[in-house]
Amino acid sequence: MATSDAAVAPAPVGGARWRYRLRLALREPTTVIAVLMAALFAYLIVVPILSILSDAATVQFGDERRTAGETGSVTIYYLYRAFASPVAHDLFWEPLLNTLKVAFGAIAISLSVGGVLAWLIARTDMFGRRWFATALIVPYMLPAWTFALAWTTLFKNRTVGGQPGWFEAIGLSPPDWLAYGQVPITIILALHYTPFVILLFGSALRRFDSQLEDSARILGAPGRVVALQIILPLMRPALLSAVLLIFAKCLGEFGVPYVLGLPVKFDVLATSLYRSIGSRQTGVAGVLAGAIMLIGVLAIMIDAHLAREARRFVTVGSKGAMNRLSRLKSWRWPASGFAAAIFIVSVGMPLLTLALSTVMHQPGSFALSNFTLDYWIGRDLPTVAMRTGILLSPDLWQAAWNTITIVGIASVCSGILGVLTGYVVVRTTIRPLAIFLRQVTFMPYLVPGIAFAAAYLSLFAVQRGPIPGLYGTTLILILALMADQMPYASRAGISAMMQLGKDPEEAAQIVGAGWFRRMTSIVIPIQKGSLVTGILLPFISGIKGLSLFVILAVPATDVLTTFSLRLVDYNYTQAANAVVLIIAGLAYGGTVLAQRITRTNLAEGLGN
Amino acid sequence: MINQKAGSVTFENVKKAFGAFTAIPDLSLTIEPGTLVTLLGPSGCGKTTTLRMLAGLEHPTAGRILIGGKDVTMLPANERDVSMVFQSYALFPHMSSLDNVAYGLESSGLSRKEARERAEEGLALVGLAGMGGRLPAELSGGQQQRVAVARALVLEPQVLLLDEPLSNLDARLRRRVRTEIRELQQRLGFTAVYVTHDQDEALAVSDRIIVMKDGEIAQSGAPRELYEFPASSFIADFMGEANVIACEVVGIDGTEADIRIGSLKHRVPAGRARPGAASLAVRPGAVTLAEGRGEGLAGRILHSAYLGDHVEYEVETDVGTLFIVDHAVDRILPAASDATLGFKNRGIALISN
Repeated sequence: MATSDAAVAPAPVGGARWRYRLRLALREPTTVIAVLMAALFAYLIVVPILSILSDAATVQFGDERRTAGETGSVTIYYLYRAFASPVAHDLFWEPLLNTLKVAFGAIAISLSVGGVLAWLIARTDMFGRRWFATALIVPYMLPAWTFALAWTTLFKNRTVGGQPGWFEAIGLSPPDWLAYGQVPITIILALHYTPFVILLFGSALRRFDSQLEDSARILGAPGRVVALQIILPLMRPALLSAVLLIFAKCLGEFGVPYVLGLPVKFDVLATSLYRSIGSRQTGVAGVLAGAIMLIGVLAIMIDAHLAREARRFVTVGSKGAMNRLSRLKSWRWPASGFAAAIFIVSVGMPLLTLALSTVMHQPGSFALSNFTLDYWIGRDLPTVAMRTGILLSPDLWQAAWNTITIVGIASVCSGILGVLTGYVVVRTTIRPLAIFLRQVTFMPYLVPGIAFAAAYLSLFAVQRGPIPGLYGTTLILILALMADQMPYASRAGISAMMQLGKDPEEAAQIVGAGWFRRMTSIVIPIQKGSLVTGILLPFISGIKGLSLFVILAVPATDVLTTFSLRLVDYNYTQAANAVVLIIAGLAYGGTVLAQRITRTNLAEGLGN
Repeated sequence: MINQKAGSVTFENVKKAFGAFTAIPDLSLTIEPGTLVTLLGPSGCGKTTTLRMLAGLEHPTAGRILIGGKDVTMLPANERDVSMVFQSYALFPHMSSLDNVAYGLESSGLSRKEARERAEEGLALVGLAGMGGRLPAELSGGQQQRVAVARALVLEPQVLLLDEPLSNLDARLRRRVRTEIRELQQRLGFTAVYVTHDQDEALAVSDRIIVMKDGEIAQSGAPRELYEFPASSFIADFMGEANVIACEVVGIDGTEADIRIGSLKHRVPAGRARPGAASLAVRPGAVTLAEGRGEGLAGRILHSAYLGDHVEYEVETDVGTLFIVDHAVDRILPAASDATLGFKNRGIALISN
């Protein structure tokens, strides 16, 4: 039966085989779309990164005399300048050391505080666990530099000009180490990333089966041994994952060190890169961006390795797993008090400080006559550049409009591209194409935003071939933001398409529906929810994003974040704080709205 | 009314490779119009790949596929005159049952009104009249399965493909639905290709069964032929349980052969047997069991297990350990006791020599 008398159709070989495969591939537009998307992402993601890396190794315009080479020729001058020259200390090594100091400081504090809070929420009978599970992750929904501005509002001293902080105003001059630099940056980053630890560590703790603890005890292990040999090893992947993610985030953090580090020249890698770009040291900027990317890639690779390790522990939380709560007894109130204190320090106080500062003429004076709504809705103010309250300023509305259009268009585009990426990755018959798309869309995740923005500036600052110089246009911001959001958008798209599987679309194909009809009547309607999430979540993170915009935006393309930073630079404290409050409100409201629409909750199950 | 136009199916030297792995090395087969043919085999034997190539969801690396005499090798699924019931049913979760059934009709150019009328007919045909407004999530597993069948049937395809269509149903429902599918196929007369790994299902619904192994056809024939005359120990074991033991063909008399199993002589259908050493497939129910030593094959009970309507035994004999199913439940032979084995006339076949 395996053979018959029928005419044998031989297997096509060589070129014929490829022609046959091409004919098959072109039968469906999936492959064509995949090829177009691969080309698009290569241009939007790979080329900018290559461009900035090549800047680091080629002579830049204006540096011919210093490098003793022609523009465009290969040089190690910038590597030398960044790593070994007399200025290397200021350009790279000290910023690197500062970055490491604040990152590890923030990690240590957030792990200690977040670890305790995660345990209290996930495994104890603390009062108000459910409420705290949501309340304590609010800092994560707000831009980190919201807290930096609140800090300066309170602690700013006479070291820099402009309006003094509240303490200074009442005669208690805070020392520089408390007002600026490593200490406040570390504390603020720690408070901002503590929710990370609560989420990651809390969910691992929740999944931890207390029967494991019980069985170790029944086998004779004392409490300390159980903690060291059973609980800790099983929690280790979640802990290390939190450490590395916080580290990667701190590496690219720009706003906080910009606001709090600049007055005392406390540079981190991100601000040093910003300075290099500002002083047109393109080659050095290339080296710094490359170094940030390298450290970022290493951190994420270690995290990926640990995630693989963690998969070996999948038996945790198997059928019949128990999550028994520890009884705190007389410690229930103190525990709740601790959680409440952290909430007040990380959410209540900063927001209240910012809010109060926007309605006070003089800082730190609580006399009724000192309160005013002028900074929100006043007219004919005595300030030079801000003649009206912020809500009446056309600049605010222009920045708000820019934010909505730039972030909105980028989010819609990346959301749609994410779903399409998911579709072609799951459906294309050409595997290398699927692998390329999967990896290329993930690449921006490895590159901190500020380095990615520098890469965009490197590629699009001038006309290259048919592509005109895009610096100063909204298009460069849209493209950069879109590419920056692709890791999340494509992951969401791929996992949604994986979950959907091929069956519904194949069923539609079998009953005669063409590609376009299948997409519009089956795939997109079923994926509607994930498309909305894929647009909304990047939109929210885009609204509060700063590092990408600070490099690429010009006054005409100011978004709310860069607008508020400009106000900080001009020392219009009240106006800057008001804009930051608006951003925080939008980000928080947007997150809550997104959770409502998608019926999800970041703190899902944590306090249950 | 749904009119089926049954078509034949032909695979000519079809090969399918996924990268370096060849799932189907060289497959040729023909399916007559109006028959229900089952592709049966263990996981990874290539039956689903064969079905998907027929559907147009996979394309052969080499060879030709013809449906109703027309070469469809290069045609995508939506341009072939086939329909398919998926293992997961693949109902569109955001559409009502009626819209699910009408979807293909609208894709083929029918007006919405006409498509919905025909879809109502389709639902009535599978016993779901009046349930068109329900979403798939509001239907039971059996009802979802019937919507999937209706969606496939209303298109009046030349060939209906069924990919393990009962695997998500419980045992009782499975028995009922397989009977319904068979009745529907016989009533409407369409050609059906049915994929399953369950030999009971294959035996119950098929005109012909094609057993596949490693991408090739291991044996093809009517259900009874496969069950009673397996061509190999693989088929014997796959088509219901079988003991494969050594025997000797001592003589052939027309269509029958005289064989010797240890000390026991027996007569079985000859098939293609030749005199000499051979293998014999013995169904667990084809062995008779008597207490103590007597005339027949001597055995010793290793284990016995009472299972309500029958007793299962493992019996050690000179020709190997045999698995036996005995329906004499009022007498259970204990372990380590002696027994005498004999063979019935059915359920025993020469498989090779």
